[in-house]
Amino acid sequence: MGTLEKIEAIRNGELSATENVELALERIRKLNGKLNAFLEINSKAMEEAGEVDRMLKAGEAGKLAGLTIAVKSNINVKGLRATCASKTLEDYVCPYDAEVITRIRREGGIIIGMTNMDEFACGSSGETSAFGPTDNPAAPGYIPGGSSSGSAAAVASAMCDLALGTDTGGSIRNPASHCGVIGVKPTYGLVPRQGLIDLGMSLDQIGPISPDVPGSVLLLEVIAGKNQAEGMMMDVERVSYGELNGGVKGMRIGVSPQFSNLTDPRITGVIEKKVEFLKDLGAEIVEIRLPHIEQALSAYYLIVSVEFFSATRKYDGRKYGKRIESVCGEEVLRRIMLGSYISRREYRGRYYQRALQVRTLIRKELSLALKQVDAIVGPTVPKLPHKLGTRLTPLEMYAYDYLTIPANLAGTCAGVVKAGEVNGIPVGIQVQGKPLGEEKILRVMRALEVESSKSG
Amino acid sequence: MSDSKDQDLNPKEIERSAEEILRVFTRVIESLPVEEETYYGQELVNPLRPDGEPSPPSVRREFRKCFISIMPASDDDGKLRVEVARWAR
Amino acid sequence: MTSKKLYCNCPTNYAEVPPNTNVCPICTGMPGAKPMMPNEGAIDAAVEISLMLGCEVVKNKPIYIQRKHYDYPDLPSGYQRTSLPIAMNGVLEGVGIREVHIEEDPGQYDPVSGTVDFNRSGVPLVEIVTEPGMRSPEEARNFLRTLTRVLEYTRKVRPEAGGAMRADVNVSLEGGGRVEVKNINSIKGAYRALKFEMQRQAERIRRGEVVTRETRAYLESQMITVPMRTKEFEEDYRYIPDPDIFPIIITEEMVERIKKQMVEPPHLREKRLARQYGISPQAARVITSERELADLFERVAAEVQPQLAADWFRTKLKKVLNYVNLKARDVRFTPTQLIRLLKLVETRKIPREHGELALRELVKEPDDPERILERLGLSPPKPEELDSVVNTVIREHKQAVCEYLEGKSEVLNFLTGKVVAASRRRADPREALAILRKKLEEIREKGI
Repeated sequence: MGTLEKIEAIRNGELSATENVELALERIRKLNGKLNAFLEINSKAMEEAGEVDRMLKAGEAGKLAGLTIAVKSNINVKGLRATCASKTLEDYVCPYDAEVITRIRREGGIIIGMTNMDEFACGSSGETSAFGPTDNPAAPGYIPGGSSSGSAAAVASAMCDLALGTDTGGSIRNPASHCGVIGVKPTYGLVPRQGLIDLGMSLDQIGPISPDVPGSVLLLEVIAGKNQAEGMMMDVERVSYGELNGGVKGMRIGVSPQFSNLTDPRITGVIEKKVEFLKDLGAEIVEIRLPHIEQALSAYYLIVSVEFFSATRKYDGRKYGKRIESVCGEEVLRRIMLGSYISRREYRGRYYQRALQVRTLIRKELSLALKQVDAIVGPTVPKLPHKLGTRLTPLEMYAYDYLTIPANLAGTCAGVVKAGEVNGIPVGIQVQGKPLGEEKILRVMRALEVESSKSG
Repeated sequence: MSDSKDQDLNPKEIERSAEEILRVFTRVIESLPVEEETYYGQELVNPLRPDGEPSPPSVRREFRKCFISIMPASDDDGKLRVEVARWAR
Repeated sequence: MTSKKLYCNCPTNYAEVPPNTNVCPICTGMPGAKPMMPNEGAIDAAVEISLMLGCEVVKNKPIYIQRKHYDYPDLPSGYQRTSLPIAMNGVLEGVGIREVHIEEDPGQYDPVSGTVDFNRSGVPLVEIVTEPGMRSPEEARNFLRTLTRVLEYTRKVRPEAGGAMRADVNVSLEGGGRVEVKNINSIKGAYRALKFEMQRQAERIRRGEVVTRETRAYLESQMITVPMRTKEFEEDYRYIPDPDIFPIIITEEMVERIKKQMVEPPHLREKRLARQYGISPQAARVITSERELADLFERVAAEVQPQLAADWFRTKLKKVLNYVNLKARDVRFTPTQLIRLLKLVETRKIPREHGELALRELVKEPDDPERILERLGLSPPKPEELDSVVNTVIREHKQAVCEYLEGKSEVLNFLTGKVVAASRRRADPREALAILRKKLEEIREKGI
């Protein structure tokens, strides 16, 4: 059952919100022990479902009425723990709701629980969690990708209807690709970040993860739009993506030779087939150039380390939680050290500011390329996921992010939809768009999804 | 605050790996052209917020309760308990 | 003082509420909290203060809000947001103003009990950095007083309200390193800290010891400074522009709007008053000590002889106000009431001493001056009363009257004095003299 069909069923009374929550809790009970996708279950979910059912009866159902939403553990949900999968915030019970949570609740969505993740979103495999790694439901024994590992795994295993992830350098798109689900990183400033625990403030965005494109559209329509209480937002009141099934006929779609230079040929093979599909559907395929895509990675890690260093200064162990340096894992500590070092007065010009200049370069390149086309398609992750427990060097780990980082550095939007499989492991195709170009990329994603369901 | 770790991290080794990463990354971006720095996720206008009526006490009362409840230590007045300053001893 | 904090909507009246009441996720550094857009009122205040201090406002250029990182219990996020200069290169009575910028106040940390109250956290703060050049604690104290007066004139700051003013002072003696002293929150404290620190450093230099560059804290209870020894303060702050707040841009229009609403800075007003009204510099200084006092003076000086008014403001009104511990902005009498009182003095309808008594009453129990005089029994005598007093004096000073009739006209002054005294100083001497003369001439003609 697709997301829209489920909503319909709930509206019709074929399925109550309470039953839907029971269904999810049952799946979680059955699967979470093995998958480790959830860190905490909302003990009030049934109670909240009852309330939604009452509202449904009264005809006051919101857009998400009765759907179960999993939330990444770096988003504040009042009364639950936003641990960031870290010992630092192990006991941090959120004193407030993030703005996106307020919006989800308003539309009748039910927070089913908090999902596992890489510690403070530092990682691309889901393995840096202080509470153990998450398994990949679509390819057991392999990493689910990260850092929104638990959210992607929860959606892939139908333990929830929809999930919130966050994406700083690919953290929604990477696990969506590895788990074979849909994920969207919205334009920077489209979705409120109030209540999102920082990794890199100038890069972070909250976005949807879902089993199908309409699910992501629905959740995005609920969470997107200006929040008066924060400054870094686009001047967009609300979004509505009506023309989802408009197809790609006549659209200009960019591909870049730089993608395949960085990517496992088996993955490139899967992606190229999908490009052919799009061509068959009437899209015009245009070659674009992104000459410095490889260097974006270096700039990204320098910038994110400095912002993360700054963001973690509040974890001094005085007001809540524990002092971060005393309890955190290796990757978190490495980034704090790196950020602390390169923001020093004598080094900031050489490293930090230099990286910010490269960011400008990437932004110019990407926006130039996007001027020529409606969307850019290509691989999401250049490598296949490794087996859980394989030890990678930090640089090997970072290499997962080559293709997702540019959209974060440029503040543009991008989404992922499953393109195929390599040795039974899902491979996602990434569709990138202009700032606020969500409607176009969602249309391309929907076309690919419909095409796959026909052929698959 | 103690620096004792729950796990066996070797900060020296992590620091070395950070230095290695820095070396590699700096080499990569060294030769790229000089540009203005981009500090923000989007370049927007100059937003300010008018001064005016503060938030209602009810909202703050609710938060105060939660805030005090998650404090590792507090006194009877609801102040956060922290260390005594070394210079004031 | 704004109503809301700089980056959130909590109220700013931190001193009036129980601990940790004016707080929210933003000003307590909860995980995930993002600042709201900067409070425009705070920017306006900073620009106004800058203009009053004769600074050049930084216009049409991004003013970044920086994160200044250091670890201290009062700092909920581990960094303080501080803007790049809003304005630069000002001067206030000979002291150079290097820059003016905006900061958020940290919470209130009691270093002795080890507790923190975040009510103050996030309240806007204007930091004014002077050039070095003050040579003594006295000079510094005078400067701080002058500065305080400027701040009070804006009505945006209440420096005299406990703890709202804080100073970091630097002391550098020849042959020693520069020492910064923090934790000072009054002018008196600054003066004492400077005095102590100068003596301490001079003593070390005399003994041939080194004065190292360091940060010290002033302990008000003991009036001494002690080494702060938290290495954080000597450390690198690792400034970065706050990725959650866009830089502020001050436009020409903003500056013009603020200039229009702005009042004349006190140090300039002081000079103008002296020049325009021909009053003494001392009087001008006292009159401009409070904006409302100066406003009152200018209203009075439009109707009463300015030198007289100035003299009364300086020597009498200010004293009474101080005595009853009242600020000029809090007086309850109307300017017209004061004008009428001074006019009675100016036209010698009442003697100065009665004027003074009436002034005291005016401040304590405001009313029309005539009514006050009556209440005090100091109203000028009615004609028939004065008549009868004159008659009595003539009766009781036969000797003097004879002398007058013999042609010693200077005796008239003596008799006038007697009449004034007999009226309990309520009679106008000129009037008394006229009546006396008239009566004595009648006597000369008709005989007694």
